[in-house]
Amino acid sequence: MALVFHRAQLAVPVACMLILGCVLPLAVLVVFSVFEVDLDAFTLVPAFSGQSWVQMFTNPVFAFLIGKAVVSGAGTAMLAGFIGYPIAVSMTRLPVLWKGVGSIVLLTPLYTGEIVRIYAWRVVLGSEGLVNAALKWFGVIDEPLKFLLFSPFTTHLVLLYNNLPFMVLAIWISAELIDKRLIEAARDLGARPIDAFFKVILPLTTPGLAVGVFTVFALAAGDMMTPSLLGGTSGATPMAMIDNLFGTAFDWPLASALSLSLLVILFAFATGFVTILLRFDGARAVFRRGAL
Amino acid sequence: MTTTPDRAADPSRSGLLLSARGLTKNYGRDRAVDSVDLDIPERAFTTFLGPSGCGKTTILRMIAGFETPDAGSIVLDGRSLSGVPPERRPVNTVFQSYALFPHLTVFGNVAFSLTLRRHSNVDVAARVKRALDAVHMAEFGDRYPHQLSGGQQQRVAVARAIIAEPHLLLLDEPLSALDKKMRGHLQIELKDLQRRLGIAFVYVTHDQEEAFALSDIVVVMNKGRIVQRAAPLTIYARPANAFVADFIGAATLIPGEIIDGGGASGSAAIDTAIGIMQCPAMEGLAKGDKAVLAIRPEHVRIGADGLNATIRHVVFKGDRYLVEAEVNGVILRFLADNPLTPGANVGLVIDQDRAFITRID
Repeated sequence: MALVFHRAQLAVPVACMLILGCVLPLAVLVVFSVFEVDLDAFTLVPAFSGQSWVQMFTNPVFAFLIGKAVVSGAGTAMLAGFIGYPIAVSMTRLPVLWKGVGSIVLLTPLYTGEIVRIYAWRVVLGSEGLVNAALKWFGVIDEPLKFLLFSPFTTHLVLLYNNLPFMVLAIWISAELIDKRLIEAARDLGARPIDAFFKVILPLTTPGLAVGVFTVFALAAGDMMTPSLLGGTSGATPMAMIDNLFGTAFDWPLASALSLSLLVILFAFATGFVTILLRFDGARAVFRRGAL
Repeated sequence: MTTTPDRAADPSRSGLLLSARGLTKNYGRDRAVDSVDLDIPERAFTTFLGPSGCGKTTILRMIAGFETPDAGSIVLDGRSLSGVPPERRPVNTVFQSYALFPHLTVFGNVAFSLTLRRHSNVDVAARVKRALDAVHMAEFGDRYPHQLSGGQQQRVAVARAIIAEPHLLLLDEPLSALDKKMRGHLQIELKDLQRRLGIAFVYVTHDQEEAFALSDIVVVMNKGRIVQRAAPLTIYARPANAFVADFIGAATLIPGEIIDGGGASGSAAIDTAIGIMQCPAMEGLAKGDKAVLAIRPEHVRIGADGLNATIRHVVFKGDRYLVEAEVNGVILRFLADNPLTPGANVGLVIDQDRAFITRID
């Protein structure tokens, strides 16, 4: 018997995984968020209480932490977009062999693991680190630059470094798929290279840009290790707070409420960014073309 | 096109629009175009005809500015094009795959070159309408390319290329992706458009029927060189060598030796496997030269006093039958009104006033 699937049926495995791995735990969080904690018995007490949600909305620290995550994520995504775009477009001009080498080089840092990278950055940026030592040796500075390590600067430098490959890959694939004859047609019709970029290349790479922004925003806004190990006193994140509340503080209802709030807000922002990008004609044209 | 009469009136240009000298292009060790000299007159429909890989598209791309010649020069309107980027050449191109911008509507595609030059919106709208009218696509302005058929996309590509009033329009096999009927329609439309606009068209194709239907001048190319440049009728009736005779139409080429005539006489006697034939001959052939006799199907008819032939194959072509018959080891083709039986013997008469003796290469 031949196996014939409708295209929609091919989505069934993924749908099952999404329900089991995402929707179900979320439902559990919703339920936990209205429970109460009996600290004496050290147990969760089933109840229908709004206590954790009241705390969530009244204590400004939670809104601050979520806002900070959004700004971090958005800032990182924007910087990654600006820095990644030229890298991605120049990769399309490489000979095929060098494209392979380029994509391997791009991804190599991801194989080293986050902790290794973070300690590597400490070596590079610390008071006695490579950068400060080099600057001292060249006589540019007398005292080590303190802001290099344990500051928002460090956090975002490393967030950018960690997430740039995802942005570059997404834009690169998108740019790679543009028919080169469209660029020739634009030039033929009087477009200087810069006109061809803004009128043809940029519109047709918005899908890649959208995927990159979505990915980098989610990864950067949700990162906990980088800010807490490299951000010093500025390294507080909603993730660390959630970790604390679930663990040490044993306040599962509040942890659940914070998790849900963070999720909804990050999701809203990410959807907003992507919606704006996909409103461009270029993105619509690319997605319409779908071959399958 | 407002500029055309002025340029035509200028006697210093004497009707010559483009002239290339020693044009050469190598791809690695392959010589795609081999020191080609070329003149393209104003307002004419010139077609480059040749098998794939003969260099015709490369020449077009060098004129458009997408490829840089390794040697030689191109002069357009009296100005050298060397170092001039594509966007500053008064030349537009209709691409083989149309290359319409998928993210722009038909209007946006056609208006593309005007919007780069900051024309007023009213002016743009009027000119887009005129260009779309010229290709019978006026009502499709709001559509996106993917909503159009191949023929419609082709028309939009033409409108987009003529709107800026180029001095020269380059067309790279623009009809090759279309079915036969649509191709026939668009050939007539293109020819008509070219006459109305008075723009010189340079057209690239490997389809000889298309070349003959459209062109004032056909340039036959082979292996990076121009083999013959002449009016369609001359190319057909007086092919410059065996390659042209073979590439154009279904000629049978029979090698032989000139035994009489030749030179400037215009006629020669050639000794071939099917006997001695007295036919019109390419200039420059002399007694003793090796040459080929090109016989086309329409030069052959059945006649009792003709060569002794055996029918080998009969193919029904719709209106008539294409018959292959063997004469002394040589296969001759001709068209018959009635199906003939393979194996039968017939007499074949060669029209020796129309068959042509040409050079081997």
